[in-house]
Amino acid sequence: MPSTNGNIENEGYWKIVHIPDKLPIPPHLQPTVNVYASIINPKHANTLIRKLNKISLLEDLHHVKRICKRCVEGNVQLLMILCLASHDSGQLEDMPSEIAELIESYQLSTFITKVSKYPATSKEDWEEQCKLWPTSYHPPTYNIDGITGFSEENSQSILEFMKSAVDLAKSVDGQIVNAAVIVNPTSNQVVARSCDQWAEQQSQASCFRHPFHHAAMVAIENSAARDRYLFPASEPVGDNCCQADFVDSPLTVSPSKRQKINTNVEDSGIQNGETSACGSTPARPYLCTGYDIYLVWEPCIMCAMALVHQRIKRIFYAFPNPNAGALGKVMLSLQLLELIKTKCKFNRRDALQIISHL
Amino acid sequence: MEACDTEEIRGADPCMKLALQQAKLALNNLEVPVGCIIIEDEKVIASGRNRTTETRNATRHAELEAVDILLDQWQKKGLSNVDIAKRFSKCTLYVTCEPCIMCAAALSIIGIKEVFYGCANDKFGGCGSILALHTSQSEWSTRDEVSNGKGFKCTGGIMVSEAISLLQSFYEQGNPNAPKPDRRPVHNL
Ligand SMILES: [Zn+2]
Ligand SMILES: [Zn+2]
Repeated sequence: MPSTNGNIENEGYWKIVHIPDKLPIPPHLQPTVNVYASIINPKHANTLIRKLNKISLLEDLHHVKRICKRCVEGNVQLLMILCLASHDSGQLEDMPSEIAELIESYQLSTFITKVSKYPATSKEDWEEQCKLWPTSYHPPTYNIDGITGFSEENSQSILEFMKSAVDLAKSVDGQIVNAAVIVNPTSNQVVARSCDQWAEQQSQASCFRHPFHHAAMVAIENSAARDRYLFPASEPVGDNCCQADFVDSPLTVSPSKRQKINTNVEDSGIQNGETSACGSTPARPYLCTGYDIYLVWEPCIMCAMALVHQRIKRIFYAFPNPNAGALGKVMLSLQLLELIKTKCKFNRRDALQIISHL
Repeated sequence: MEACDTEEIRGADPCMKLALQQAKLALNNLEVPVGCIIIEDEKVIASGRNRTTETRNATRHAELEAVDILLDQWQKKGLSNVDIAKRFSKCTLYVTCEPCIMCAAALSIIGIKEVFYGCANDKFGGCGSILALHTSQSEWSTRDEVSNGKGFKCTGGIMVSEAISLLQSFYEQGNPNAPKPDRRPVHNL
């Protein structure tokens, strides 16, 4: 089978697949909400909008346009949304009194209509939405080295790193284990490697398995240990180290800025166990900001949240874990990714899956 | 916790007070003030506090700190995984803030019996605020069958104002390491 992913050994087997953060919904089945609308006199449009903006903000419907123009038998008709309607009943009881007053004084004849509940995520969705009532559509602006496609060069290194994770997992004899490799993508340097630690322990004939030492958790600790080793002093950090998870911080340094700072650190020969030898003091990295993690198996919910805490930027995994996987299971990935997007104001988690493609 | 090691304690508030002490300890160490204790047979058997800054490992939350102490102890005693699971199934955790998704999943993996928490965790809460992992049964099982995820009983709202005011004072006193925009009070974790 033809592959665009270069000359890697397993050519043809691997393909990078983006795990969507939403359950794919056919455009015509998008959820809707009911609103009260009315045909209005165009002369009153501005006044009405001003008044409505004071008394009836459509908080969760920013994507929905307030006014809709319709052509009925050659005549242009203006329709306007007044407020949300909570019931299908068509009863006006639930209408705020200010709206009722407005209806009264402008002699509006209201009706209930459906509008799309969520902003469109694709052009197809948007076109479908506009059949109900016009909405605005903002194509996604993120494109950090292609959620929608990786360059040839990036695909190569992504597959190489994944391969090294798979090799690491294989090295624990006979057992199915997970392995993790944390990489700084700006320098392509490996920051930490690990396997499920319980597996190592078990192969040493111990009956104890640490229940939390999954590969991702161990890799996080390894990267933290590396940080402590490279920057032993408790010198002030340029960042709110480790605390950012706890605060709502839209104004913190953007990851891209941090990444630039981190590059110094990565290039200073750490991998060989040397301490930084360069004249300028390298900045301390901020957790794993900007780093990627390669996992053989899809992370469980504990590990997925841990990776978010540690500020991992992208998660790549080879095999989905239908039982415990936190990212591929639509319900969860939806919630987790929603969480990441809306609650943490982090960059969008790029959950990617590299699946075997036979 | 030393004084209480041998004392029997009853009721949620006295236990939460001990967890709050741990949170204060975290605060004194310039960590986000969250603390917890683990109780078995009405005795405190472990305590933990947030150590994310010190360790530079953002997963070192109070809950994992406390559980790790017990895992370490019990492993050294030679307890098997089955024995350890039995012990945790008798343990109750008191934590000043709702466990995050990671910690809730971890507590479900070890099969803790019950969790009491103080304030809600609006950002990452795994016991109702964002996800409700305490209610799940087999859904959260991991590949390794020994540590199947289990649900646990969970009650929030114990001494909320104390928990929140600690967090508030953390952000008000300001973290000396924090850039200016972060030096403001936030109640959620
Ligand atoms: Zn895991
Ligand atoms: Zn936690």
